[in-house]
Amino acid sequence: MNSVVVLILGLVVAFIGYRFYAKHIDSKIIKSDPKRATPAKMYMDGVEFMPTSKNILFGYQFKSIAGAAPIIGPIIAIQWGWLPALIWILAGTFFIGWVQDYSSAMVAMRNDGASFGGLSHKLISPRARVILLAFIYFYLLLIAGAFGNVVVSTTVALKAAPMAWLFLTIGGILAGQMIYRWRKDIILTTVITVIIAMAGIWFGSVAPSDSILGADLANSRWLWAIAAFVFCYFAAVLPIWRFALPINYVASYIVFLGLFFGIIGIFILHPDFTLPAYTGFSIRIGPIWPIMFVTIACGAISGWHSIVSSSGTARQLENELDARPVGGGVMFIEMMLALFALIIAGTIYASSAEYGAAIAKGPGGIFAAGVSKFLGAIGMPAALGRSYGSVMMIVLAITIMQLVIRFMRVATSELLSDISPVFRNPHIGTFIACVLGMVLVMTGWWQYLWVLFGGANQLMASLALLLVTAWLMSEGRSAAWAFYPMIFMFITTIAALLYTSYNLLVKVISGAVKGEALIGNTLMGLVGLFLVVAALILGAEGMKALKRYRSITKNQAAAAAKA
Amino acid sequence: MSEEKKKGGFFSAVKEFVYGVAAHDSARFALKSRASMEHLFILITMGDMLGVPILPPYYSLRLLPYVVPQISTWKRRMLKEKDLTDGLA
Repeated sequence: MNSVVVLILGLVVAFIGYRFYAKHIDSKIIKSDPKRATPAKMYMDGVEFMPTSKNILFGYQFKSIAGAAPIIGPIIAIQWGWLPALIWILAGTFFIGWVQDYSSAMVAMRNDGASFGGLSHKLISPRARVILLAFIYFYLLLIAGAFGNVVVSTTVALKAAPMAWLFLTIGGILAGQMIYRWRKDIILTTVITVIIAMAGIWFGSVAPSDSILGADLANSRWLWAIAAFVFCYFAAVLPIWRFALPINYVASYIVFLGLFFGIIGIFILHPDFTLPAYTGFSIRIGPIWPIMFVTIACGAISGWHSIVSSSGTARQLENELDARPVGGGVMFIEMMLALFALIIAGTIYASSAEYGAAIAKGPGGIFAAGVSKFLGAIGMPAALGRSYGSVMMIVLAITIMQLVIRFMRVATSELLSDISPVFRNPHIGTFIACVLGMVLVMTGWWQYLWVLFGGANQLMASLALLLVTAWLMSEGRSAAWAFYPMIFMFITTIAALLYTSYNLLVKVISGAVKGEALIGNTLMGLVGLFLVVAALILGAEGMKALKRYRSITKNQAAAAAKA
Repeated sequence: MSEEKKKGGFFSAVKEFVYGVAAHDSARFALKSRASMEHLFILITMGDMLGVPILPPYYSLRLLPYVVPQISTWKRRMLKEKDLTDGLA
């Protein structure tokens, strides 16, 4: 099939989903009311609760949810063939993805801007909140591990990446300094720092890491893992304006320009898919169900989005009608991003063997090769394009990873400060997060790590849908559109996590793995099992709450009939 | 706010989108940092309003007129139940 057909198919699904399905839910079931005061208006404090235009929020939501996952997922999942991946991306977004993003914003908006912790306490049970918080900590850990692995494998596979990453960091730090300390003009700052970052991309292509550090150091996973976590350490302990945010600011231009011109490149070259449409039910990382459904996470549905929607966006929407374009619309754009990645993986290699050799080194190389090819269509030299692609991959992973380590620091102090005040110290929380993440990166096989991350992410999504279902039932609204996706995601992700954890732990118990892999398998297996247990408890609590709401609704209906 | 924006058309929408992608988060965090400093300051000077046992110094009375516009949001932020998920985005 031709790649442009895939893009057009994506646009058609997005149009129907957004224009008809989402509109129907928004106007008939949720009954969005432009006159109803949103939390942003009711509790306006100029900080968290602030009415903001939908265009700004559209950009904010897109930036917050578009990380490495929608790109890496399809690149790995194409091992089952491009057709199942394509169907899951389209159907997942249509039936589940936008539903979750939109409804988690809506449920938070209709509950005074409460976040998931507060909502689970109110709608399910007090215990649900504690379990949810513990769940989120390990979920964040898996994000740090999986994304850390992407950074490390990309820097090892693409020797241009380290220099580009270094220049981006310098540009970012300079941007923070110029804006907040020296009070320079934002446009001047942007121009200078983006030029520095671009110069790094060029410099990376002419001075690759192995020519500067030597082949041994340039290929050392230890070195780059330490670099990644030291980077995240600074992001977590320094004031956020000094490191994390300005780097994300400069990085967003690189990603945005790359995606924009890359998609133009696809239209110019419009290549055909060269990899097979379907390879088989079971491959090395597992069977198509349930594993493929968690491998492609963010491109179809992702729990991360619900966190952004509920804690961030819901407190800023100035009009209930904006929830559909911001919550739902951005998910369809994310779907297009996943299709972009699928096209890259499916079209740039001549045969499955070539793709197999490339995927063994990690997804970063494939993405960079794709970006290079499609940017080449608009005239960029191949080496520079590869350098650009490699830094895009690193940026997409590390910008989320640094925030995740920061959240883990906050979570450590939140969850453990009652045990000992030492956990309130930001350095301790960050250190624990970095060490755990580092152990995962250095000892786990990256494809299993990715599946576990995807499983945790999708499980988070099903928990979000559980909250939404509980809210809909408590209000007596039709809940099937959130309930069935929730059941599907819950069963699929529990199966995926159990399957992967079982595979990992069997190897540990039977003594098939030794050394580093032993640590990695044990840690990953136990984290997977913990997530399953936490989710089962949450699921049981949730079901009890749903029964409670159903009986209340029935009683009310009976009382109304009598009256 | 929204009425003014509607006049701008396509280019202002694109401008807002780029701002949303690149800078909105930074602006929010800057505001958050400022608000937490200010709220901490109000807490140590006017904490008795929330029942925090602080003997109000003479100066807090002189500061009161400047603090009045912020009192309601300050109280709400201080008394609102918060957990980890509030800080995630």
